Amino acid sequence: MSASRIPMSSSPHLTPSRPTLLVESSPALPLVHLTVAFRNGAASDPLDKDGLARITARMLRRGAGGMTSAEIEERIDALGASLSAEVSSSVVSLHADVISRSLDAFIDLLAKIVGEPTFDEVELGRLLREAEGELIESRDNDRSLAVRHFRRHLFEGHAYGRRLGGQIPSLRGIVRDDVVRAYNRIFTRGNAVIAFSGDITDVRAQELADRIVAGLPDRPAEPTIIPEPTMKPGRRLVVVDKPERTQTQILIGTLGSHPKDEDHFPLQVATTVLGGTFTSRLMREVRSKRGWSYGAYARLPYEQRRDAFSMWTFPAATDAAACIALKLELLHDWRQKGITARELAFVKKFMVRSHAFEIDTADKRVQLRLDSELLDLPEGHHERYVEHVKAVQLEAANEAIRHRISEDDLLVTVVGTHAQIGDAVAKAIPRLDEVIVVPFDAE
Amino acid sequence: MLATPIPAPSARKAALSDAALAALNEGKPENARISLVRVHAFGPAMTIAEYRLGNGLTVLVSKDDSAPVVSYHTWFNVGSRHEKPGKTGLAHLFEHLMFNEVEGRPAGTFDRLLEEAGAETNAATWVDWTFYHENIPRDRIGLVVQLEAERMGKLVLRDPQVTSEKEVVANERRYRVDDDVEGAVNELLYKQAFTRHAYGWPTIGWMEDIQGFTTEDCAAFYKTFYSPNNATIVVVGDVKERELLAKIQAAYGHLEPATLPIEDVHPEPPQTEERRTTITKPTPTAKITLGYRGPAFGDADHVPLTMLAEILFSGRSSRAYRSLVQEKEIATEVRGWVSTFRDPGLFEMYATARPGRTPAELLAALEEEIERVVREPVSEEELAKVKAKVELSLLQSLETANGKAEQIGFYATVLGDPAGAFARLDAYRRTTVSDVLRAARRYLLPTQRTIIEVLPEAAMAAGTQA
Repeated sequence: MSASRIPMSSSPHLTPSRPTLLVESSPALPLVHLTVAFRNGAASDPLDKDGLARITARMLRRGAGGMTSAEIEERIDALGASLSAEVSSSVVSLHADVISRSLDAFIDLLAKIVGEPTFDEVELGRLLREAEGELIESRDNDRSLAVRHFRRHLFEGHAYGRRLGGQIPSLRGIVRDDVVRAYNRIFTRGNAVIAFSGDITDVRAQELADRIVAGLPDRPAEPTIIPEPTMKPGRRLVVVDKPERTQTQILIGTLGSHPKDEDHFPLQVATTVLGGTFTSRLMREVRSKRGWSYGAYARLPYEQRRDAFSMWTFPAATDAAACIALKLELLHDWRQKGITARELAFVKKFMVRSHAFEIDTADKRVQLRLDSELLDLPEGHHERYVEHVKAVQLEAANEAIRHRISEDDLLVTVVGTHAQIGDAVAKAIPRLDEVIVVPFDAE
Repeated sequence: MLATPIPAPSARKAALSDAALAALNEGKPENARISLVRVHAFGPAMTIAEYRLGNGLTVLVSKDDSAPVVSYHTWFNVGSRHEKPGKTGLAHLFEHLMFNEVEGRPAGTFDRLLEEAGAETNAATWVDWTFYHENIPRDRIGLVVQLEAERMGKLVLRDPQVTSEKEVVANERRYRVDDDVEGAVNELLYKQAFTRHAYGWPTIGWMEDIQGFTTEDCAAFYKTFYSPNNATIVVVGDVKERELLAKIQAAYGHLEPATLPIEDVHPEPPQTEERRTTITKPTPTAKITLGYRGPAFGDADHVPLTMLAEILFSGRSSRAYRSLVQEKEIATEVRGWVSTFRDPGLFEMYATARPGRTPAELLAALEEEIERVVREPVSEEELAKVKAKVELSLLQSLETANGKAEQIGFYATVLGDPAGAFARLDAYRRTTVSDVLRAARRYLLPTQRTIIEVLPEAAMAAGTQA
């Protein structure tokens, strides 16, 4: 296996600029993975056009380079390839897998999709109606309802609170000109970062990357810049009211941290003690001892800025209030008393040794490098992960909890049947400042 | 001792030599003696060495040094098909209990030791099988061998753990079935389609059965099914084969084989007329699921019927997606799948309606596509397309050591052929348009289907489409 990073051309005025290219070669299977990412995402959409970046990315394959939507889909499948689009607040990316023998033909197709989309009005109308149907259908998924309303209220007024897939009114307001503008904003050579992994060499990757972006305008990068989120003060409860729930989905959280924060690794280690393994405090108390929830987890994700720290459980409706009280107690203990030296030693071993599974394929390795590139992570964040974890000291971990995680500014989101659990759940949260009840079909 | 076919010379190099095996077996009791059964070619570049211990334990080893990790799977030939009415869900509950106490190691130790070693661990249960897996850095493989052998032979079952785990499983059922429309509908489909065969009850079990299990039920299940001669170990990764086999001999060699019960599964009687049920659910849109009686996974017809399922349902270029989602705009999603069960299962189809659309509209559109594939052959281009798609799927599934181990374990357990994934790919490649047409006409019979229609409760229904 081998890895390389090929930088942008140093002579942008003489020759077309080249996108940043990352390559991880592995001949283990006749399969190539490809990501074409752009440093511009949904946070740059106009405020009344939630979902625009996602619609634009989905429109690429619905007619391009003289091919209809149906012809493109036939071609992708016939080549033994798969193609998907992913949109975050700061990045739009296309992911593809392709059987090695079809790579060349697939790149020709991808160059058309990325560089020559037609944005046919009829197709756009069809996609918007499809996306609206998907929004309604997603009301069936209680976990996704919980996450959506948790983010909506935690990041109120911030890009991270916006719904990436849009809302029904915002989708209904999108017209072709919006899509063309979004395309011109996002899909430029300057914004592009391309990653190849698998059965491919550096030289071949460079040639194919040039072909992919050949049809894109040669403009410098215009990345989406997201401001640091802040948290509304106080303790709030959001109940997403849905009929006939035998079970609840509960998220409790507050603002988290970012790799640019000096205490990010200490907090990540401490969060793993709380809810990152099968023997974590949350799992032991909620699942193993009480059997209240199939899973009990704590997470500390990040994006371009700090994201949310959260604890997730899904107990029966009858156990919801008690489960919230227990989680708040565990959060309090974690914050006030910290983690122990023994817990720290254990989790450091787990994180260091299990890192092997973050890098055991060429695609996983290149995705970590892509993450560093797109989110502008500190030098060596992923490459020196093991060193960072090993370096975490007990006091630093406990100080990070106290410094970053607020018990006063806290959001509790529960999906359940309000008439059945509302009062009990509210009583389980001391010092509650605000209760918001949202119908499950509000969006 | 089992017969040992002599492998071809090139394949023989992929396993331990006779002399190395003899050295491993020297002074060992009969149950611990290990023999090479055969070496399987696993695609163009990989091999699987199949060994068996004297106590009947099968060990499949595929060396892969692409990363310094090992995936260790233990597949048991037991699933919900081995349960009885009134005791449904026992195989799955038992899978949970396997993470608890063993003699000399209190509850929680299993997970703690593995996590400390950096392992990922989990398990799954379905109708025909149960498997446990650990992915672990290569230098900790000895720990996995030791812990897996201990829980195969020395599990301790106590009331408090059984009570707590029953509650966890009840919550899992609420999550996957009771509060999940699709889960509930799928459960009902199999209940209606299978009146006699064990596939008619859900692997997670009926709620009243889950809540009624005793520690004695669990102990009896363990004694009956968790024996070395009912298990297959699959090891894929960066291992030294001789050291690995020595560890397996030492850890499992003392276990006695069990007398496995005669499998008491009733074949499903032929279905002679359509079965249809309409239910209401707290969901914003209508849904429909259809189950046509299908072949067993090992049946030759399973291959062309799977190709047909791909043509109809796989991806955005599939016929059903194009018709229902793109052209008619009556569905948000449409899927289809031929169940991969040891006994004949179902060709399942599932569609979710756009707001205001009905199950009748979904059914009419699906029937249009079904009647077309029964009436006229699919095109050579479509068949070539889905052949490329299944090849891609197989390659994607083989990227990690865990992915390879899962393919090997599944095919070994369900079909008795560890390398079956590639044999199946060859069978897909050989499939002709005539094969697909024959399968369509044999299986897509209206009299052999079960339909569940889901209507949204009035208060929940989203409005008609704008």
